[in-house]
Amino acid sequence: MFGNNRLPAFHPGLTQSRIRDTTTGSGLWFPGLRSPPLPSESDPANDQLPLPITPEDLYDTPMAPFNPYTYIRCPCSELNPYTKRTPDVTAQGLSRAAQDDDDHTFDPRAARSNYSLYPLEYLSFCEDCHQIRCPRCVAEEIVCYYCPNCLFEVPSSNIRSEGSRCTRSCFQCPICIGPLAVNHVETPPDPNQLLSPDHASSSHSGSYVLSCSYCNWSSTEIGIKFDKPNSIHMQLAKLRNGGETRLTAKERKERRKEQASQGGGGGSSTGQGEEDLDTLLDMETQFANLKSFYQNQLSDANGTGKVGGDPSAALGNLGFDAPASLSRIMSLYTGSSSLHDKKSKSRPGTMREALAPSEGLQLASLDESSAITALQDFESTTGLDAYSSTASTTQLQSQAPYLGASPLHGLTRFTSSLRPIPYLLRTKRSKRCPQCRHIISKPESKVTTTRFRIRLIAGNYIPTITIKQLIIPGLTPPPMPNLPPDTIEPLKPAQFVLTFKNPIFESVRVTLATPATTPGRFPAKVTILCPQFEIDSNTDVWEEALKDNNATSSSSQAQNLSSSTGPEGSGPGGRKRAGTLRPGTAGGASLAGEELGPEVGKVWERGRNWTSIVIEVIPASLVQTAKRDGRGPIKEDEDVLEIPMFVRIEWEAEAPEDEIMPGLSSTKGGNKDGGKEKRELAYWCVLGLGRVARTL
Amino acid sequence: MSRRPPRGEYIETDTGNKVARKATLVGTQNIMLGGKTVIQPDVMIRGDLARTIPPAQSASGGPANNTAVAIGRYCFLSRGCCLRPPGRMYKGVFTFMPLRLGDHVFVGPGTVVQAAQIGNHVHIGGKVVIGEFAIIKDYVKVLDGSVVPPNMVIPSFSIVAGQPARIIGEIPEGGIEAFELRDLYKTVGNNPQPTAP
Amino acid sequence: MSSATPSPVPSSAHGHHKRHSILPAVSQSGPKPPVQFSSSCTIADSALLTGPHTIIVSTESVIHPRARLESLGGRVTVGRRCIVHERACLGAADLQGRYHKGSPDKEGRSMGAVTLGDYVTVEVGAQVESGGTVIGEGTTVGIGTRVGAGAVVGKHCTLTANSTVAAGEVIPDYTVIYSNGLRRIDRRGVSELKNKAQARQIDVLRRMIPSNPGKFQ
Repeated sequence: MFGNNRLPAFHPGLTQSRIRDTTTGSGLWFPGLRSPPLPSESDPANDQLPLPITPEDLYDTPMAPFNPYTYIRCPCSELNPYTKRTPDVTAQGLSRAAQDDDDHTFDPRAARSNYSLYPLEYLSFCEDCHQIRCPRCVAEEIVCYYCPNCLFEVPSSNIRSEGSRCTRSCFQCPICIGPLAVNHVETPPDPNQLLSPDHASSSHSGSYVLSCSYCNWSSTEIGIKFDKPNSIHMQLAKLRNGGETRLTAKERKERRKEQASQGGGGGSSTGQGEEDLDTLLDMETQFANLKSFYQNQLSDANGTGKVGGDPSAALGNLGFDAPASLSRIMSLYTGSSSLHDKKSKSRPGTMREALAPSEGLQLASLDESSAITALQDFESTTGLDAYSSTASTTQLQSQAPYLGASPLHGLTRFTSSLRPIPYLLRTKRSKRCPQCRHIISKPESKVTTTRFRIRLIAGNYIPTITIKQLIIPGLTPPPMPNLPPDTIEPLKPAQFVLTFKNPIFESVRVTLATPATTPGRFPAKVTILCPQFEIDSNTDVWEEALKDNNATSSSSQAQNLSSSTGPEGSGPGGRKRAGTLRPGTAGGASLAGEELGPEVGKVWERGRNWTSIVIEVIPASLVQTAKRDGRGPIKEDEDVLEIPMFVRIEWEAEAPEDEIMPGLSSTKGGNKDGGKEKRELAYWCVLGLGRVARTL
Repeated sequence: MSRRPPRGEYIETDTGNKVARKATLVGTQNIMLGGKTVIQPDVMIRGDLARTIPPAQSASGGPANNTAVAIGRYCFLSRGCCLRPPGRMYKGVFTFMPLRLGDHVFVGPGTVVQAAQIGNHVHIGGKVVIGEFAIIKDYVKVLDGSVVPPNMVIPSFSIVAGQPARIIGEIPEGGIEAFELRDLYKTVGNNPQPTAP
Repeated sequence: MSSATPSPVPSSAHGHHKRHSILPAVSQSGPKPPVQFSSSCTIADSALLTGPHTIIVSTESVIHPRARLESLGGRVTVGRRCIVHERACLGAADLQGRYHKGSPDKEGRSMGAVTLGDYVTVEVGAQVESGGTVIGEGTTVGIGTRVGAGAVVGKHCTLTANSTVAAGEVIPDYTVIYSNGLRRIDRRGVSELKNKAQARQIDVLRRMIPSNPGKFQ
């Protein structure tokens, strides 16, 4: 049931994720997508550490009720999304569009659909193109970088020089990735005087450690303590695991000079025999040694042929635009062709390899005996499985590059060589329409503000669709016994109420279309009882708020609700059920005996800015079909009944001041009364109605 | 004589708070509600765990504010959740510090919150543990079963999950309206209204 | 309309004098257990003590409001300077609702239902099942954590929030259980400091939580 998650592919943490969420009353939704939200979260795919939470840990019921969903397809997944325009709203155009749609019915089960379907919350809307935009097709621009822990903004110039991690004192635990806090090391108190007032602890005499208050890891475990509680990043950069100081770049340079002067010869001299080849170099020293070794070689070679053998310039010549490099690369492709024979002689001669640690040579240490002894020691001293002293792959992966400063050869294997992880910076980003380049979303640049300068979201332009199974007491046949709740019985008609809520201030005409049978392995018959209807405009928000306040303050609200609320469809509680009311029945308090089933061609219910209609589905029998078609057993999530539906909405909008761009999906109305123009928007969506029972 | 209305499940205050009679509120004098907040049955709030060290600038006049738990407007505390102020050693003395919730904070069933600060528009799922002195900014969603470790800071628009919790996603631009709890507020109380479609 | 200024919670809807808490009555089911309280312990009025066997609370330990101590499976012993937080349950039934009895030790004495060493913290909503379950000195049982029947948790362990210890499991000293069952050893060497902090916390709690041991005696 976790498979086939249709996830927005825009965030690595969400792809293949099995995140679940309960819609706990607030209607808040998270893209667990596809599968029903389980009352538990689960491991995200990009987690750095095992997160083996299972729903069973938290709840006794392994299967939660299915939450119906609506996903909308972004037009960017069409073959030529930016050249194909929705045809004009003429009768001819409509029929042509209808034909087009008949030709390629959207299949929500197609592999491609995984990348084009989004819940409404994830979609933007370009006001200039009058089109839906999704996280996959918009262009993002970084507004600012900030540390998620200290919430300080980091200027982009720092990103270039310091990398994309926080350089203050924000670190994550290398063991569990929880936040690390800087703590003062206190001397253990006299156990007999636990309650005696002592002020020694308040005087900061000793040093500081980073410690994790979740898993109780402390930087003392890797032998690191700090002298002061701030700028830990800088202090840590100078410390090696075990507390040994690490040379800064400047110190290293000076030390090299010393060595060079002592050795008499330059760095380019051949490896001295007296140098110990087993000398251990740390990563930075080795890199520095190698760099200067090759720089010297290049400058020596170039010095003969070129003017001014500046080492740094020589290194710069390694760029692909440098003539020397170009000729080298060319010769790679052309081989030893006669064309380059002459030139190759003038090239720097054969480059020598590093032969000594001072030149950056580091012999691979293949002797693992020390690691094995360490494992055995751990087991004998702690009595624990030695496995717990080794770092897991996820722990190693979450290590910041170059901060490990471990021996180069052989990956670090023990948790004792892990380093605190400086927090990765996060970003605030604005979004642009891929076609017209207009900005469709732009947050305020300040880190701590949550306002947006521009926020064009699809939810403000297209209706939301909510789904609810229709059960009328007395009319709907009782469900089969032993059937899990909220499952749909195969081969039996089931009815669902689709409620369309209009966000815009114009009334909207909706036309729905769906294939008679759903595509895919288990075709269901689908009938939309009322494929064409109107939704009234969204009235003023303040009007609504005022009404609500009056309603809550009045004590007789309950009575108001149960009796008629005056003119139908006026208040928030006022609603009109067209299909069920017989003439003469007043208000919404219809008796159970008078309930009628939904009628073809009539809306089911309607309110201030919403209209609901009924669709009827007859699912195929999963078990029988699976037996017949020979395509193996029912796969995960194949029992979810999904219906592709084509939605076309039309409305009249205030015509903009400037001339409308040709080719937009809007045309000027024939009779231009009050500068109104006709608009339309059409898109595919998929309705996830429920799970079909695996009965015969 | 008594014209008392029949006892409902909730005590509804002048400011629109709906406090279930079956909620356990200890130290009510230290609990501040901003108004229109729902406290469901079996919720527990530890207002008695007030700070023992006066705040640094309390000498600057005004009555001593000893609020232990401050809750904003339109918060929803689900059944069985527990709010308690975080405590720590400070200069050799143990003290509790206030727990502050912003507006439109949803706390799921069975969740324990010991944060220092929860922003506005925060959704905390069920069976979650928010560790001591955690700071959660605005528009954050904490998924069910998460354990937010102590001292963690969660920036705005984050979705977090896991044990310990980590950021696993971002709230999309279109998802911020869903944090609004006005409608949910209306659905509970002594005269609950049906949810609008 | 609501005012913008925050207001304190109503102490009581109809009460004449101001109460400081809203504490709905809890059914005190079962027999009143025999108790042995240290004179210096703090037991909140709304703590819940049930069961036929003895409940022992030692020096300076604090039992928060709405904590449950159930001696249905045997004796419940709380060591010195322990803190049992609200909704925590000592001597709880297992997930099937059974109260296990502790098997007798080598000398034939009953192990009791639950034994907490000194300086143990049982956090909010944690469940320590009945059945000879032992929690060692200085150990913290995290929020919502369940310790199975007969488990023996060593000294100075940390069971982080929402973790589980299986029934009968033996956890070595200084173990940290985190991230859904991962285990490691706490090498900070701060157990003395932790005990000290616990003593300080108790010092504060004793002044905050009105103790009413007489109610249970």
